[in-house]
Amino acid sequence: MSPEPTSLLQGTLDLLILKSLIAGEMHGLGISRRIQQITAGTFVVKPGSLFPALHRMEEEGWISSFWGESENNRRAKYYRLTKAGTKQLEVETKRWGRVSWAIAQALETP
Amino acid sequence: MPLLVKARSFLRNLFSSRRVEADLDQEVHSHLELLTEENVRAGLPLQDAQRAARIELGGIEQVKEQVRQKRVGNWLRSVLSDCRYGLRQLRKNPGATAVMIFTLALAIGAATAIFSVVYGVLLRPLPYTDANRIMAVFEVNSKGGWSHLADPNFDDFRDQNRSFRAIAKYNDNVVSVSGTSQPTRTTVAGVSPDFLKVFGVQPILGRDFMATDAKKGAGPTVLVSYGYWKQYLGSPQDLSQSHLKIDGTVYSVVGVLPAGFRFPTGVDLWLPADLGGENPSRTSHNYYAVGRLRDGVTVEQANRDISAIARRIHDTSSEQGDYLLKDGIVLPLQNSITGKARPALLVLLGAVGFLLLVACANVANLLLAQASVRERELAIRSALGAARARLIRQFLTEAFLLSLVGGSLGVVGAFWGVAGLVGLAPQNLPLLDSVSISIPVLAFALLLSTAVAAGLGAFTAARVTSGDLRKSLGEGGRGQAGSQGSQRAGRVIVAAQIAITLVLVVGAGLLGRSLMKVLEVNPGFHVDKIVTMDVSLPWVEDPKAKAGQAIFFSNLIDRLKQIPGVRRVGATSGLPMNQDGGLPEGMFLLMAQNEIPKTRDGFGALFQQKERIGNADFCVASDDYFQVLGIPLMRGRIFDERDGADAPHVAVISESLARDRWPNQDPIGHTIEFGNMDGDLRLLTIVGIVGDVHEYGLDAPPRPTVYVNLFQRPRAAITLTMLSDADTRLVTSAARGILQDLNPEIPAKFQTLSQVYSASLGSRRFNVILIGFFGITALLLATAGVFGVMAYSVSRRTREIGVRVALGARSSDVLRMILSQGLHTVFVGVAIGIAGSLALTRTVESLLFGVTATDPLTFGGVTLLLVGAALLACFIPARRATKVDPMVALRYE
Repeated sequence: MSPEPTSLLQGTLDLLILKSLIAGEMHGLGISRRIQQITAGTFVVKPGSLFPALHRMEEEGWISSFWGESENNRRAKYYRLTKAGTKQLEVETKRWGRVSWAIAQALETP
Repeated sequence: MPLLVKARSFLRNLFSSRRVEADLDQEVHSHLELLTEENVRAGLPLQDAQRAARIELGGIEQVKEQVRQKRVGNWLRSVLSDCRYGLRQLRKNPGATAVMIFTLALAIGAATAIFSVVYGVLLRPLPYTDANRIMAVFEVNSKGGWSHLADPNFDDFRDQNRSFRAIAKYNDNVVSVSGTSQPTRTTVAGVSPDFLKVFGVQPILGRDFMATDAKKGAGPTVLVSYGYWKQYLGSPQDLSQSHLKIDGTVYSVVGVLPAGFRFPTGVDLWLPADLGGENPSRTSHNYYAVGRLRDGVTVEQANRDISAIARRIHDTSSEQGDYLLKDGIVLPLQNSITGKARPALLVLLGAVGFLLLVACANVANLLLAQASVRERELAIRSALGAARARLIRQFLTEAFLLSLVGGSLGVVGAFWGVAGLVGLAPQNLPLLDSVSISIPVLAFALLLSTAVAAGLGAFTAARVTSGDLRKSLGEGGRGQAGSQGSQRAGRVIVAAQIAITLVLVVGAGLLGRSLMKVLEVNPGFHVDKIVTMDVSLPWVEDPKAKAGQAIFFSNLIDRLKQIPGVRRVGATSGLPMNQDGGLPEGMFLLMAQNEIPKTRDGFGALFQQKERIGNADFCVASDDYFQVLGIPLMRGRIFDERDGADAPHVAVISESLARDRWPNQDPIGHTIEFGNMDGDLRLLTIVGIVGDVHEYGLDAPPRPTVYVNLFQRPRAAITLTMLSDADTRLVTSAARGILQDLNPEIPAKFQTLSQVYSASLGSRRFNVILIGFFGITALLLATAGVFGVMAYSVSRRTREIGVRVALGARSSDVLRMILSQGLHTVFVGVAIGIAGSLALTRTVESLLFGVTATDPLTFGGVTLLLVGAALLACFIPARRATKVDPMVALRYE
């Protein structure tokens, strides 16, 4: 765990969840660990933020869920990307690109 | 697609919430297990692994609640849960809830019922196309009153105006109609040809009147109402064979009007007016007039237009005098129909509004009392993070539940209420048949319930959630500091309630005293045991035919006298207090014996001599009429056998006429000319003076009246009056048989004089009953309100009272303390109420009789009544306070 976990920007969580699901279907804890991994430990997603986001995104139709077995034969709820979710990822990625470019520009200005 | 997914989730969340919840629960638990497992793999002992997992998860229930709040349709879920919670609260105090719902149901129901009458009579547009463009037109006479139109004046209005697309005159009267399955007394209207165009109505069968139908000497034609066509003509498609004998003349039916069109009210047949030619006088006011405004013309423009024409007529006419129009007026037809009913209905609406306020005050007090019990619960909810907005919403939800349930019950009750109101309403209330619980009335009830709910909810919430809620957590046991504020609010409400109730009861008292004063008035005649019978023969002008009709009535009277139980039979041209209108009014001339002008112009000249003219109502009566009605003979004599058709014509005059026209003189022996009323120019010699009769109701002054002898001045339409000890139904059927026997084509209408008398008091009684009912209800509610607040206050102060008693207060001290607290509130309310009444009773001034709007007796009596009731309501809790046992009170906590 990072000594100083940064709080997530509004809208960033969705992007990170979608991105982590590209690798394939995953349960909640898996998603959480994956995000930690791909952000090099900068972001730690607590269940209190993760689950509401997952449920909301499922209701939006971006991801779908099913019950499956974990590596150690435990029942767990798995999530996977839907077609709409893939499209949403593209949209969010582009948007994020624009935002981060703009912020970088702003910060570079003397 | 995503929208579909969303909708599916919404429905799933709503309808299979249990499965959704179970799923969520499993997911969170499985997450916890996965976390634990991870920790164990990392080398922690099981217990520490579980603990770390829990810490990372951060509380199963909190996570679940966070998910729930993000769900689609969460707002609905939270509203539903507010409702569920609210219902539980209401069920917890079933007694108080029932009282609140009943109170609201009563008030909302009463308001809805009254509103339905106001809507039906005053607000609902008349059932014609663009009804707001239809105007009534009147002449304005020299005294500023409105009168009907004279024929030449109407013709000028019609021909010279630039405001009306169509304008028509009409009148109505009841005549005998035969030629159908049975003879009927039917209301017929005489109308000018454009009448239907004004209303935008066309016959559904046959044709409208044409200009040629109204020409003098045209073949008589008639239009019939849809109902009449079905009931009496047998709904023929071909009208060519349909004829009706109306008032002795045969008319061809040329058209059938659409169902629902009956203007003027109750009319079944429409005939062209003036088939016998117009009356050339500009001072014979025989017709109403209606017109439809041209597009773009305003009522004000039409008014100026008609007024200019009227003033031109006034300036140029040769018939100067009090009876010539001075001006003209145009107003919307609806206002002209309902104008008289408006003040009383608005007063009723105001009264029921006051009742509603008093009822809401009671409910508000009950809600406050309950809320103060809930202060701890609210404090806990607030401490657990409930926002103030959320708590306010909770109170609003509860208030909505209450008033929607109460409102629905009220509307159900209003259905009966409206039926009762329509039954109770005076017969002369216009448009009564359009009163019902309609969509707009239901919308009103819904709006009213919502407003009540919003008001009550907002008030309670504002009272309860103001200040720092958490403070009351700190108070030990039953919080008292917070309730101090709500008790003060309770007393303010009670004072307001008493003030409003006082206004209402004062209003009821003034109307009630007026009714009593009216009933004290001597009508001038007896009412009991008199059966009346309206008979009209065809209208004739020929003196021989008139004499024949006199013989017919004479025979009829002789036969009626034979009915067992009938003691005397009189006849008159118009019963006093008749709802259909009074006797005709006119100017008579004082004449010397044998002085009869030869020409019309000769008369005109005489009418210019002020000292010769007098003003009176004209009544045709038989000698027995005075005996039957018990109208006393003051001086001289009544008609008798000396006064045959060929003997000199005689008249009897009323006391007020004698006093006003012949002050300090004896009118007996004087002769007058009153032939302008019936076309018979023979002079009348005054032979007697009889008592005054309140012709237009007890609350209107008696009219000066000239009575002439039916057997000298015969008349086609007569009301017979039978003084009888026998059962009314027996007399009625016997009389009907006799008339049938004499002439099967003539129908009759029966009623008792006491029915006529009672109907004349109808609108006064209606107002007194309703306002009285509202006043009494408000009084009961206010008394209950005082009692509730005092009882609550005593129960809250039990410990304090216990301490006082323990320290030596006597029970009389406690009694005085509680009573003075209660009476203080009551007196504040009474003072405001009296001030309010003084300001508001002015609005009922036009409905009062014999009392002023500031009648001290009423104000004093009502104040005493209210203070007495409030004292009683304070006394019971105060006595309970004196019974407080200090030991029990102190241990109570």
